[in-house]
Amino acid sequence: MKYRNPQIPEGINVSGRHPLRELLILAGGALLLIVVLSWLFGQFGGRLARLLPFEREAALAPESLLVSDAGPELQAYLDQLGRRVAAQMDLPDGMQVKLHFSGEDTFNAFATLGGNILLYRGLVAQLPHENALAMLLAHEMTHVRQRDPIVGLGRGVGIQVVVTLLLGNPSLEVLGNAGIYTQLHFSREMERTADAAALAAVHRLYGHVAGAEDLFEVMHEARENAGTDELPAIFSSHPLDGQRLQAIADAVRARGWLDTGATTPLPGEFSAWMQESAARAEARKVSE
Amino acid sequence: MYDLIVFLALLLLGYGVGQFAERRHYRSIIEREAKYSALPAIASRYPPVEPRYSQVLVTGSTVVSVDYFKRFLAALRNLFGGRITPYESLLDRARRESLLRMKEKSAALGASMVFNVKYETASISKGAGNTIGSIEVLAYGTALIGPHAE
Repeated sequence: MKYRNPQIPEGINVSGRHPLRELLILAGGALLLIVVLSWLFGQFGGRLARLLPFEREAALAPESLLVSDAGPELQAYLDQLGRRVAAQMDLPDGMQVKLHFSGEDTFNAFATLGGNILLYRGLVAQLPHENALAMLLAHEMTHVRQRDPIVGLGRGVGIQVVVTLLLGNPSLEVLGNAGIYTQLHFSREMERTADAAALAAVHRLYGHVAGAEDLFEVMHEARENAGTDELPAIFSSHPLDGQRLQAIADAVRARGWLDTGATTPLPGEFSAWMQESAARAEARKVSE
Repeated sequence: MYDLIVFLALLLLGYGVGQFAERRHYRSIIEREAKYSALPAIASRYPPVEPRYSQVLVTGSTVVSVDYFKRFLAALRNLFGGRITPYESLLDRARRESLLRMKEKSAALGASMVFNVKYETASISKGAGNTIGSIEVLAYGTALIGPHAE
């Protein structure tokens, strides 16, 4: 008997498909799948969260976060300004907004569950006049009115479900960025709505919108001073400062609002109140 | 953002280095297969009775691991199903390399053919999550040396 190994043609056990083509098709498909499902589940989660009555939301508020470093005078001033702004906001019946003030140096302010708004000294101390502060309050109150905190939470959970279910494999974790992107898309939409509604409220309150854009000027400056370049819009939860200023200018022009007028100064003791709150924050940290 | 850059860099590196190594390996495999084509590897368990050969166990083994690019591609495949093409060439290379190593040993022993050739595979990272997947492919058989004059 003759024994031999014939020459076997190449490629019998190997597919000839180009690996890059394979990557493009698969990664593209996976990204599309994640974005579409994240969007659907995010919408669903948001709608579901909206069904929770506002009164119930208070129980979910992050109590430990809601510090109060404002002295009685600052708190009284914030509350009365808050009431004046809220009066222009068409808040639904029974929706109460609670203002909290942190003496910390963080450059931030946000609305969270249960109608709670936390302002940080790091941002508020840099505002040049009451109009900018009113704009900030109106912006955060719009988030409360639109129920953005709870809707955002619901959307986040929905998206997390998709990302976790689809991407159980640790090699695919990087695709989770598509879910994050979808979430940012939602939150930027919320910010734009809040800016527009806040501007309308400030117009009703003062009869003009002068000074409202100073809020974003302050943010823009703070970002530049921090030395960090503005991240590309898709990676930031808020629209870029420039885009926001532009949107305000457009809205003012479209509505024919007056954008000149006297701005209302902050109370004379304001900077003293700021220092006091900073001291309280320090003391609170020491006691913790 | 930095995660993404690191990921893309690793992917690109895996692809570049992996493809380069694969092409070079295939060239070497094809060349050596031609060189040893006169030394057949036969699956049959029954060696010829006449003439007489002396018999020696010969083995050839290869341990292969997957590069970052192929692993990512295979993980994507797990989402959709279908042929895991990036692993096909990897395992094809491992099988052929193992057989070649076995033939090289046989040739060094002066064998004229190898009988009862079989493959075994063993997963080295079996069960351990998130480790680099690597497997061993072992080819073994009975080298027939000779024939000897009675």
